[in-house]
Amino acid sequence: MSDYEYVVDGDPVDAATSAVAWLDRATGLAWIASSAGRSLAVVEGSGDSWWVTIGGRRISVTVRTWRERVLAEAEVAAAASGGAIDVTATLPGLVVVVAVATGDTVVAGQSLLTVEAMKMQNEVRAPRDGRVGTVAVAPGTAVATGALLLRLEEAGEAGPG
Amino acid sequence: MTSLRKDGRDGRPPFGRVLVANRGEIAVRIIRACRELGIESVAVHSDIDANATHAQMADRAELIGPASPAASYLDIAAILDAARRSGAEAVHPGYGFLSEDVRFARAVEDAGLVFIGPPPATLEALGNKLAARHVAVGVGVPVVPGRSVALAADLGLEAASALLAEVGTPAMLKAAAGGGGRGMRRIDDAGELPDALAAASREALSAFGDGTIYVERFISPARHVEVQLLGDRHGGLVALGERDCSVQRRHQKLVEESPSPAVDPETRAAMLASAMRMARSVDFHNAATVEFLLDGSGHHYFLEMNTRLQVEHGVTELVSGLDLVAWQIRVAAGERLPQAVLQAQPRGHAIEVRLYAEDPWQDFRPVAGDVTAWRMPEGPGVRVDTGITGPASLPSQYDPLLAKLLVWAEDRPRAIARLRRALDETAIGGVQTDHGFLRWLVDDEAFASGAYDTGLIVDRWSPGPALDAGIARLAAAAAGAGRLSAKTGGARTAPGVTPGGADGGREWARQARREAVNR
Repeated sequence: MSDYEYVVDGDPVDAATSAVAWLDRATGLAWIASSAGRSLAVVEGSGDSWWVTIGGRRISVTVRTWRERVLAEAEVAAAASGGAIDVTATLPGLVVVVAVATGDTVVAGQSLLTVEAMKMQNEVRAPRDGRVGTVAVAPGTAVATGALLLRLEEAGEAGPG
Repeated sequence: MTSLRKDGRDGRPPFGRVLVANRGEIAVRIIRACRELGIESVAVHSDIDANATHAQMADRAELIGPASPAASYLDIAAILDAARRSGAEAVHPGYGFLSEDVRFARAVEDAGLVFIGPPPATLEALGNKLAARHVAVGVGVPVVPGRSVALAADLGLEAASALLAEVGTPAMLKAAAGGGGRGMRRIDDAGELPDALAAASREALSAFGDGTIYVERFISPARHVEVQLLGDRHGGLVALGERDCSVQRRHQKLVEESPSPAVDPETRAAMLASAMRMARSVDFHNAATVEFLLDGSGHHYFLEMNTRLQVEHGVTELVSGLDLVAWQIRVAAGERLPQAVLQAQPRGHAIEVRLYAEDPWQDFRPVAGDVTAWRMPEGPGVRVDTGITGPASLPSQYDPLLAKLLVWAEDRPRAIARLRRALDETAIGGVQTDHGFLRWLVDDEAFASGAYDTGLIVDRWSPGPALDAGIARLAAAAAGAGRLSAKTGGARTAPGVTPGGADGGREWARQARREAVNR
């Protein structure tokens, strides 16, 4: 898994060609070896969200695959818009589960459907509270990147049926 | 009244049992001194401090109330109850909390116990900065040009202009009961004075219960240099050199060193003589510090006299070789300071840096949270005073000081090199600290040259340097290694690692921290 992408303190960077010479998994203490010598660091986190304290500075680091980045960006974009929003496929794949039906009220983070892509089951979650409008796909539908999966309306809006 | 022994030659401890009316690193420091003197120590603690280091280390621990300082560490009756329950003969107040509260000192003595500090009357005479300024003027110690009277709360613009014409601008408003930078305002123009006066007075009233404000000229550039005093009950008195405390944020100290790189032998002799005159003018024994401002021409001006142990006392201990806390306890029991102490000559150079839970990139704003990883430096010439020994929650009710890191070496360049090495061996996880600022400081040209003043942080640091590209790439590599390690280690149990729940071992660092904190 060498193809991680890194965002340090908000900016994308390439990881240094350095090695972690020693890492204590209980505390996160680590010695980082680089051309500048060895530096003591504290490494904490899980999943794609990490904190590295080095030289006394606590630095936010996102460590993620290309797939995780695309999903995260789609979630941010969707959450930022108001009104009815289209939930679209962020990866080409096959719809395997549709967990909601038109008229269902959902809360942010609730699983809407599952798209299998790159041999992974990717859950698509509600970017915000709302009511499910049109559902454009069914289990077994093949979708391309950007294809409409379903439409999420504001909870108070009258659905089309 | 406990009998005061004339000296320690009978080999017995100065007291049988001493109550330590404080928490954190200073309580630990005092408990250590007690143990070395053969004295039983009694810690007091609030309910959330039940497992704090000081409460664990002391021979006895007494619960004195809930987390709120007003209901525990500032509760005189609760502390005296604890002293009675535990059979303590003397009380050491540390610094902060009740250390300069004359009501506490009197209550301790009224209870028939020994207060380990200067006499209550001296606390009273010098605790008020305006009163102390009068004392200084009376014994010919130079004071900052200004007015030695309280300002009228309703000072009008006309009176403000006349006042500033007399004092000079810029000027500094100060709280008579002040400390810790509160109730202070810089004034550049008479128009600002009425509003600033009202604000400073409100702040002082809320912090100290006394809104009295006075005005002095603002000396700039200036260094903050103080003299350590130690005296016994028999007239023995010594000034143990100076400490330079000019690296400050919000008028509070972050770094202290001795000797001061700005003080030549003549200036030192004059400052030490001024400090001795202050002490001789009142009924003084035990430990105190006389603080001065030093201007660019080497003139010193009296600021205040703190009648207690200072946070930064360890700097003087390293250059003098004396245990100031032990001597506080011994002179409180009536011992005389021997010639070895009265004639002590400082040697080498010592620097202290304070590790605070605060973010130097966010204007040194205090941060709350849990310390997850904790590694302090060791090795030659390094001393760490702390109340933290491992992963810990930081109570928001108390001071964010985590540790004091001190180094000693033969001279200042070697002390700075040692400090750099020690800071590079230091690692604190879970919260942002000022560690990164301190690491920057040891490489700063102005600090390295010794030619710095109280404006150093504002002039040279704020708002903090941008993230270095090389460090960013190292951080990325470290985080990547963390993610890989979590992934590969997920199914295995390595020593010291508890497998997580549904998520396997992926949350290894956080999980381990939770285990440690809840232990």
